[in-house]
Amino acid sequence: MTLRTRLLVMFTVVVVATVALVEVLVARTTRGAFERVENQRVIDLVAQFRREFARRGDEIVRAVNGIAASDTATGIALAPDPAANYNEAATMAAAQGLDLLELVSGDGAIISSAEWPARFGYREEWLAGTTGWKSRGAFLRREELPDGVALALVAVGETRAGDRTLYVAGGQRLDRGFLSTLVLPAGMRVLLYRNLEPRLSAGQLIDANGAIPQATQFLPLIGEALRAPREMTQTLGSGITSEVFHVLPLTGATNNVLGLLLIGSSRAELVELEAFLRYTAVALGAGGILVGIVLAWWATARVTRPVRSLALSAGKVAAGNWDTTVEIQSKDEVGQLALAFNRMTRELAAQRERLLQAERVAAWRELARRLAHELKNPLFPLQITVENMQRAREQYPQEFDEVFREGTATLIAELGNLKQIIARFSDFAKMPAPEMQAVDLNELALHTVKLFEPQFAQAGINSVTDFDQALPRVPADPEQMTRALRNLVLNAIDAMPGGGTLTIRTRVRETGALLEISDTGQGLTPEECERLFTPYYTTKTHGTGLGLAIVQSVISDHRGRISVESQPGKGTTFRIELAREISR
Amino acid sequence: MIAVVPAPGATRPRYGGTLRVEVRESIETADPPQTGRGMADLGDAFTITRWEAGRLAVYSANDNAPGGRPYVDTVEIQMARPAREEAIDLDLGKTDVVELGINELRRPATGRKTWISAPVRLVALVFGSRVADARVREALALAVDRSAIHNVLLQKQGEISAALLPQWITGYAFLFPTAVDINRARALAAAAPPSARVFSIGVENAGLRPIAERLALNARDAGLAVTVGATGSADAKLVEVRIEFDEPARALAAVARALGLPEPAHADTPEASLAAERALLDGFRVIPLFHLPDVYGAGPRVKGGPGITPLGAWHFGDLWVEGNRP
Repeated sequence: MTLRTRLLVMFTVVVVATVALVEVLVARTTRGAFERVENQRVIDLVAQFRREFARRGDEIVRAVNGIAASDTATGIALAPDPAANYNEAATMAAAQGLDLLELVSGDGAIISSAEWPARFGYREEWLAGTTGWKSRGAFLRREELPDGVALALVAVGETRAGDRTLYVAGGQRLDRGFLSTLVLPAGMRVLLYRNLEPRLSAGQLIDANGAIPQATQFLPLIGEALRAPREMTQTLGSGITSEVFHVLPLTGATNNVLGLLLIGSSRAELVELEAFLRYTAVALGAGGILVGIVLAWWATARVTRPVRSLALSAGKVAAGNWDTTVEIQSKDEVGQLALAFNRMTRELAAQRERLLQAERVAAWRELARRLAHELKNPLFPLQITVENMQRAREQYPQEFDEVFREGTATLIAELGNLKQIIARFSDFAKMPAPEMQAVDLNELALHTVKLFEPQFAQAGINSVTDFDQALPRVPADPEQMTRALRNLVLNAIDAMPGGGTLTIRTRVRETGALLEISDTGQGLTPEECERLFTPYYTTKTHGTGLGLAIVQSVISDHRGRISVESQPGKGTTFRIELAREISR
Repeated sequence: MIAVVPAPGATRPRYGGTLRVEVRESIETADPPQTGRGMADLGDAFTITRWEAGRLAVYSANDNAPGGRPYVDTVEIQMARPAREEAIDLDLGKTDVVELGINELRRPATGRKTWISAPVRLVALVFGSRVADARVREALALAVDRSAIHNVLLQKQGEISAALLPQWITGYAFLFPTAVDINRARALAAAAPPSARVFSIGVENAGLRPIAERLALNARDAGLAVTVGATGSADAKLVEVRIEFDEPARALAAVARALGLPEPAHADTPEASLAAERALLDGFRVIPLFHLPDVYGAGPRVKGGPGITPLGAWHFGDLWVEGNRP
């Protein structure tokens, strides 16, 4: 992983962590605030319901007491035949806006019933058996009606005329109509469960519109509230449909739970807000991350550009481009590093130039020495022959012809040697460009080995081949490569004058092919290894010192690599690595 | 037996004038009715001179009537008048004769005469075939509190009865028990399967609906679940049947026919008639409840009368209206 990537990842992690932290904090704070507001709304609504309940109760008490105090009620109380008044309750109830009204005689018999006219004559024992209704105010009561049982808020008034008593029991149904009068904030609703049946019944749960769908989901909450009557809060549903319900038990005159008020507050707003925050946070986070990445990219690029430039320049230096310098863009540590780098490369280039000059001088000296050596050998016979011929012409004229023939033959032979020496030098100087084609190195090596079998036999050398059959074909000039192999084999033969083993080995490499030629000769010292490929350098008593230089030249022209491994007394191994493809 | 409340200051009969009558019924036939109660009763003394189906009928005095020419020249009958408006029109003097319902009877009115016939309308609950369990029918018969209905809803008009024919015709109607036995009713209802204990009562006449509501309440006390609605798909019907004859055998046959009961055995003696009636009521397919009279109110302008017979038939030939020539 590059420095730039590491910096980029680090910056990105910091940005993402920051955005996530901010989102969590905002979401948590918002949720807390919203829930406080929601709780307050529920508290307000409960208070509103209680006020409304009390107000309705007061209204009912006023209406009932008004009826009880009316002349009509007194007349009914005093009427000798109550049957004549059996229709009165309906009229009175309509006038006072009551849903329920019963006129009951002192003995508890219904004289007139607005809600159930047919009940005249039936007895309301609960009325007759209790006193002090006036001080009791309004209370909840389970009322039986023709269409079923209803929950009602009722009050009882009494009319006393002489020794007669008339009870006026009136009220209003606690039903959808009552619920519809409650003013609810948006997102809130009120449900009423009327506990009028022995068992839990979903049908008894209503809202301002009547029966509610999927009422069964509320039954567990209702059951819990009825088992232990107390105010409680519970969340029902999930996601955008979830609601928080505050349950308020509604008790009757005897403290029995006749109903439950379920004040629901939708969490949709909260869920939507949370979703909005989440989406916003994701969007902002994504944007922030993107911006962060871009900024990090820019920053890391700014930070790493000089470093990369330095690394690139160092690479160029390593590749031999000693003139490489880096641009100094700042005066900071990186700028100082670039300055030092430039100073280093300048010094390296100067040293290299001096080294090259020294090597060039050494090479010329070596060349001169080799040329002198090579040319001295043929020149000496030439000089001797010419001097013999001069001496024979002067001292032995009768033998001159014979000496001349022998001398000219020697001269021609030695001149041939001189030409051969010059041709070899010329060949080295004129190495042609390789003509590449797909070459099977195994086959090439085997062919080379076969060429030298007579020499191996003569020199007592055992040749061994260890070829990797999976070796790929590599691009090479077969003629030049054969020449290189021959030189290496010849070199090995020369290294084993007393016989030995020559091993040619091939192996597959990831990048191409490896060919090794090993001998079991006397080996080379590290110093000899270093100079082995220098032209005209040789450790042998014969030869031009161009063989391994030619091999190196060929391998270099193939974009390959040749190396040598040797220890004195343990033989020498040359390794040639060739690529599958020639890089341009 | 007709009860007449005479107006003070009776005058000598006078000829001429128009007797204005309002009825709730709306007769939509092309021609005026020739049979039944009401306008058909005017046939001998009056002659139809104007007929607007469902709205108005005008009868003129027949100079050659068998009992002599009626006092009034014409009888003008307004049809399809609601009961409440009839009573108001009578109070305001816009009409002379109206039918009176229970609620109108309860209202005090000065100068109004009330003509009440003998109890000639049988109010009974008739079960359909869907209420097949006789125990359920008997349970309801035992649970009905006729006295409460009679005292309150009927304002003591008519007679409580568990017989098909009224006491004034047969003399034995009191032999049919009307007492409430709620315990036995509950026992009978409890013995019936739950599905049989649920049924509905239909009401043809809106005036009978309070009675049906009370029946449902009584039924509830016995353990029956009864609802009240229209007659269309009801399991039982609360009906009103007019007693057309004062002769027991004919009256019984007519009532049985009207109620959809089998033809009763011909009875020449009271005992046979009683047995025939008992046979009809056996099984509680029909629960007789009350016998009600026809009740009319006549304005202070109307003199003479009463304007109806004991069976409730119109008898306007002897009526005259004040302010016309003597």
